[in-house]
Amino acid sequence: MILVGELSLWVALLMAVWTATVSFAGGTLRRSELVASGERGTYATFAMIVLASIGLWTALFTHDYSLKFVASFTSTNLPKVYLFTAFWAGQAGSLLFWAMILATYSAIAVFANRNRNRDLMPYVTGTLALILIFFLATLCLGANPYERLDWLPPDGRGMNPQLQNPGMAIHPPNLYLGYVATALPFAFAIGALITRRLDAEWLVAVRRWALLSWFFNTTGIILGMWWAYVELGWGGYWAWDPVENASLLPWLTTTAFLHSVMVQEKRGMLRKWNVVLVMCSFLLAILGTFITRSGVISSVHSFAQSPVGNWFAGFLAIAIIASVYLVATRLKDLKAKAELESMVSREAAFLYNNLVLVGIAFSVLWGTLFPIISEAVRGTKITVGPPFFNSVNIPLGLLLLFLTGVGPLIAWRRASTANLKRQFTTPVVVGIVTCGLLLAAGMRSFYAVVAYTLAGFVAGTICQEFYKGVMARRSMYDESAPAAFVRLVARNRRRYGGYIVHAGVVIIFAAFGGLAFKSENDLTMNAGDTRTLTDAWGHKWSFTSDGVSRYDVLNRQVTAVTLETRRDGKPVGLITSEKRQYFSGTDPETRVATFEPSTEVGIMGSFRQDVYVTLAGVTGLDTSEIRITFNPLVRWVWIGGICMAIGGLIVMWPQPEKRRRQSGYVTQLRPDTALAAENA
Amino acid sequence: MTTTRREFLLSLGGGFATLVATLVAGGAAARALGAQEETRNTMSGPMNQTAYLPVRLAPKPNAKPALTERQRNDLEHQLQCQCGCTLDVFTCRTTDFSCSVSPAMHMDVMGLVAGGYEAQEILAAFRKVYGEHVLMTPVREGFNWVGYFAPFGALAAGAALVYALLRRWTHPEVASPIALPNVNATPDELARLDDAMRSDQ
Repeated sequence: MILVGELSLWVALLMAVWTATVSFAGGTLRRSELVASGERGTYATFAMIVLASIGLWTALFTHDYSLKFVASFTSTNLPKVYLFTAFWAGQAGSLLFWAMILATYSAIAVFANRNRNRDLMPYVTGTLALILIFFLATLCLGANPYERLDWLPPDGRGMNPQLQNPGMAIHPPNLYLGYVATALPFAFAIGALITRRLDAEWLVAVRRWALLSWFFNTTGIILGMWWAYVELGWGGYWAWDPVENASLLPWLTTTAFLHSVMVQEKRGMLRKWNVVLVMCSFLLAILGTFITRSGVISSVHSFAQSPVGNWFAGFLAIAIIASVYLVATRLKDLKAKAELESMVSREAAFLYNNLVLVGIAFSVLWGTLFPIISEAVRGTKITVGPPFFNSVNIPLGLLLLFLTGVGPLIAWRRASTANLKRQFTTPVVVGIVTCGLLLAAGMRSFYAVVAYTLAGFVAGTICQEFYKGVMARRSMYDESAPAAFVRLVARNRRRYGGYIVHAGVVIIFAAFGGLAFKSENDLTMNAGDTRTLTDAWGHKWSFTSDGVSRYDVLNRQVTAVTLETRRDGKPVGLITSEKRQYFSGTDPETRVATFEPSTEVGIMGSFRQDVYVTLAGVTGLDTSEIRITFNPLVRWVWIGGICMAIGGLIVMWPQPEKRRRQSGYVTQLRPDTALAAENA
Repeated sequence: MTTTRREFLLSLGGGFATLVATLVAGGAAARALGAQEETRNTMSGPMNQTAYLPVRLAPKPNAKPALTERQRNDLEHQLQCQCGCTLDVFTCRTTDFSCSVSPAMHMDVMGLVAGGYEAQEILAAFRKVYGEHVLMTPVREGFNWVGYFAPFGALAAGAALVYALLRRWTHPEVASPIALPNVNATPDELARLDDAMRSDQ
């Protein structure tokens, strides 16, 4: 099976070359048999890549250490679940995983469009095949997971302990699913630009894929934050690390696109801008991968560096050149079909929202690349860490939060003063009351007060929208409130699903506000020692060390410290934090330590705050170095993330076309007719 | 379809030529940037534990510690551990006990605090020894201002562009249909019609 997998990789590369060639040729020469051959080639490439992936999984599960990849990232005593996830633990495997997802998406796109978008599909298929060629060529020639060692090691090196976490089983696949999904809108955009069929038709297909990308990127980012929080032990969930930033960039541009696409659907505007956003999302995903793989920027995630960064740089350059050329030569075809009637309208609000989202994307990209720029200009190395990103992005983030509340309430085309008064009175009052209460309670952190005030305002807008909708249904259909709520969401999933996403955003911003009250305490404790600390809520916490214990579990030796914890004098439980030293081999006499010791934090969580205990290390027999962090409202970050994911699912859930038409997004999607009528 | 067979073949040839040229150029650029290291584990693998450089100054006369413990911790958040972990000194030393660099840098901070030095003086001392990259954020001076202003500058430029576009697109003279005098409807009906037109539903 391993040999079959290895051969399949090469066959997949050949099939992708064939697919790209005949698809572009078929589209250009209008030869339907070539187009059909290209589509069959997509399925064949998919099958070959699946075989290649099965081959690698087989090698991982059978501990075939003759393969460098297997020997580098697994060991005999590695739990089985991590043998499965080892697939994406290293460079070559993660690239194969990327190729597998792209091939799967490509096959789905070809199948789903077998009777639709027929003019576009040859170029879509061809573009996707070109992207696949890049990945497969990189795999075959640059980072082959089937590369063999000259000798057969008795055991593998094992997996990085920080990757031995359930979060690692789902966080990378989610991010990859989101990253790779940006290729589909990109391919459709290329197809639409080449054929100059830039009507609203291609947007329907693109929007679904963009939503899929957004959904997986969102869940991937949130899961990554959770993993960093529970696994890395530094007490936070976002460090503005270049690789974290890389995941945020396509998310920001996809989010901008999902807002601006509504303006194009409703009003036929922002057509150039939408094409640019779609392309930027894909290019930023590739740029992010380049940053991760090339090593040009130091990152805590740089466990998978190699010269394939050069390949990504080359591919990125080609993709940028092709994108710029196509957009530049199609500007006339991308002319807006309507004009803005007022600066106080929903389309204008979406434009402002896009400006801020793209502004944040730029600032994140700028901060990530600034060390390189600075070194090139001044010859001096600098570090751009969290304080820089926070100083730039917190104001922009708050502006975005404000627009999150404004956008949905303003009317399309032109908002009247009466409309503004009617829509904004309640939310503004909610915001002001929130601000007043916080100031009265003694909160003085400027950004926290602003964040909670805006959160109150946006929450007010969301609640008001749901309230109005539910009350309208109750009066019209005599439904109970829960039934009216469910049907309201079900009847217009896009709108109310979007509000649920916004609710998630509000919750997350409110949780971010809690960071202003985070406190860290650095303690040295012997067995029996008690330390008392005060949290941001004014509670007195006492921690008594039960001493240090050492024991073996599975493939690791554990050194743990347990703290008996009391809040305001009442026992609330035990918190244990561990240091783990992983070993290769199972025999205690011959086992060899692999990697540096890793930290397992102890977390006592509640809706108010997490008490976060990190065992930094042990000196002597029983003296532990401990950091205790009070992290307010962290649980709400995960709740907000879940809320966003649920909202995203609701928006994505297929809706009969009739209903979509009723909700106002389909009527103008018939090629040009509706817009032409409107313009006439 | 607007593309001819000749154009298609030319594009294909051009694409491959660009691919080859860019790969060569990309390779050269990446080599120049020192990106050719095969594997450089930094996450939990070997780090540069020899990166420590002592930062010591003679204590001030009649020196008393100028910083509280909290201020000292805040200061250590502004210094980057030089082992390659990319964390700040406080976070690294209270997370990863196997790192020998951050505890050593911490000891230097303690020594300078005990010597009566203020936070800015301590940061300057570290900068003098390690270079500017020891600071977690660029110093607000010279070219670094470009780093701080560029995001806001870009946003301001974008806002100006959007404003200009909106001014060009916006036609305030367009009369609302509701204002047409010859519509045969009551004000209430017109209001409801206006509401329906403006609503998202």
